[in-house]
Amino acid sequence: MPMVEPFLRVERLCKAYGGLTALKDVGLTLEAGGFLCLFGPNGAGKSTLLKVLATLLPPTAGSVRVAGFDLEEHPEAFRAQLGLVSHQSFLYDDLSARENLEFYAALYGVPDPSVRAGELLERVDLTHRAHSPVREFSRGMQQRLSIARALVNDPSLLLLDEPYTGLDAHAAIRLSRQLRLLHEAQRTIVMATHNLERGLDLATSVGILARGKLVFLQRRDQIDPEAFEQLYFRHLEAA
Amino acid sequence: MTLPRQILLLYRKDLRVEVRKKESLIAMAFFGVLIMVILNLAAGLDRRLQAEPAAGVLWVAILFSSVLGLGRVFAREKENNCVAALLVSPLSPGALFAAKALVNFTLMSFSELVLVPVFFALFGAGLQPGLPVLLLLLALVNIGFSAAGTLLSALAAGTRRNEVMLPILLYPLCLPLVALAVKATGAAFGGRPMTEIRDLIESMAAFGLIYAAAGYLLFSHAVREA
Ligand SMILES: Nc1ncnc2c1ncn2[C@@H]1O[C@H](COP(=O)(O)OP(=O)(O)O)[C@@H](O)[C@H]1O
Ligand SMILES: [Mg+2]
Repeated sequence: MPMVEPFLRVERLCKAYGGLTALKDVGLTLEAGGFLCLFGPNGAGKSTLLKVLATLLPPTAGSVRVAGFDLEEHPEAFRAQLGLVSHQSFLYDDLSARENLEFYAALYGVPDPSVRAGELLERVDLTHRAHSPVREFSRGMQQRLSIARALVNDPSLLLLDEPYTGLDAHAAIRLSRQLRLLHEAQRTIVMATHNLERGLDLATSVGILARGKLVFLQRRDQIDPEAFEQLYFRHLEAA
Repeated sequence: MTLPRQILLLYRKDLRVEVRKKESLIAMAFFGVLIMVILNLAAGLDRRLQAEPAAGVLWVAILFSSVLGLGRVFAREKENNCVAALLVSPLSPGALFAAKALVNFTLMSFSELVLVPVFFALFGAGLQPGLPVLLLLLALVNIGFSAAGTLLSALAAGTRRNEVMLPILLYPLCLPLVALAVKATGAAFGGRPMTEIRDLIESMAAFGLIYAAAGYLLFSHAVREA
């Protein structure tokens, strides 16, 4: 039987910022519809890895293939299918929530941007503030809107960099529920987070990054959640 | 989406923000008028300026005030790092360059709508304002300056002291264009025949074209992190 190409394949990926090596020989694969959760302390290289996957940063060495395409050779083939939630909101402060979503939807060539914006506002529970400028939003509301923004094109690969930051308990539960729905709809998801509990709850694969190295990578069903915290700290100390 | 539609989408988004805030345009017009009033006081209120120095005054006011707007157009894109969202979308970097250059061109043109009449009110006595020639010269400088300014503001936005970097890079780069503009405008104000100005205008058009082409080609390197 021929080997099925995994949806995401990262091989010997290195990224250096000048003299500082932020990623060292990272290799991983993720099947279509998989949910990879990346844990790691501050400065471990999680954001850098996500930026490389998002084609925002070119790798120093190594390769990334998504759906069979090499990212460096065919970035545009893949960008249309990508959604990204980062530390920054990617929102225009002077535009309203609805205007932001309509702009990004139009950018992706969504047939009816205004309908799409309405749907997404509903999903993140911001319909009542649709016409307020983003400048007036709280941190948590901006975070919800930036997640809605990443979904305008209904991405098949969703990259999330610490999406729980700034969310209250209620919003965090809602986010988890949304991510689960996306996962059930066969979207492939890579998420970096500090939140071990929420991450383990959602993931199908779990990775630990420490000092730029992927020191641990395993399928979620082979991990005992009770023992994971200990295992996590053991790997950090060993790195 | 086709290139023109991408450009239009970005352009309309920026103009919508500008119409709402008006911050760039007000700052540009205000600063430009201020420069001219100061120079008018310095020259002596009732003294007539000759054609060439008067042309210099006009361009100093226009170019020094424009840089305020040029910087803002890209700074806004950097505020929540929206430019990263644009870069991971299917948008072509060329469309981003063209849209930003058009926004800058528009801002400069609107600010000149205020500055040029004020200039003639303060310094116009004795000048021969051949309006079609002046409009052509303004358009050429606006093209070159907004193209170069767009490229450099993308470069400068990646540095720490971007509001200082932009003018430091932009004025030397645009010096040839500005020098030609001052000469051509001086000649036009002095009532010289069109044949004398034509060479200057052709050179200005060439510079505008070079800045626009270089900007279009280099822009994707300027906005991307390495
Ligand atoms: N633009 C940059 N220039 C230089 N160094 C950077 C840059 N971005 C990140 N780094 C460094 O790379 C390392 C990994 O950072 P990052 O990927 O942000 O980690 P994490 O997201 O896991 O906290 C850190 O040491 C950080 O200081
Ligand atoms: Mg990070």
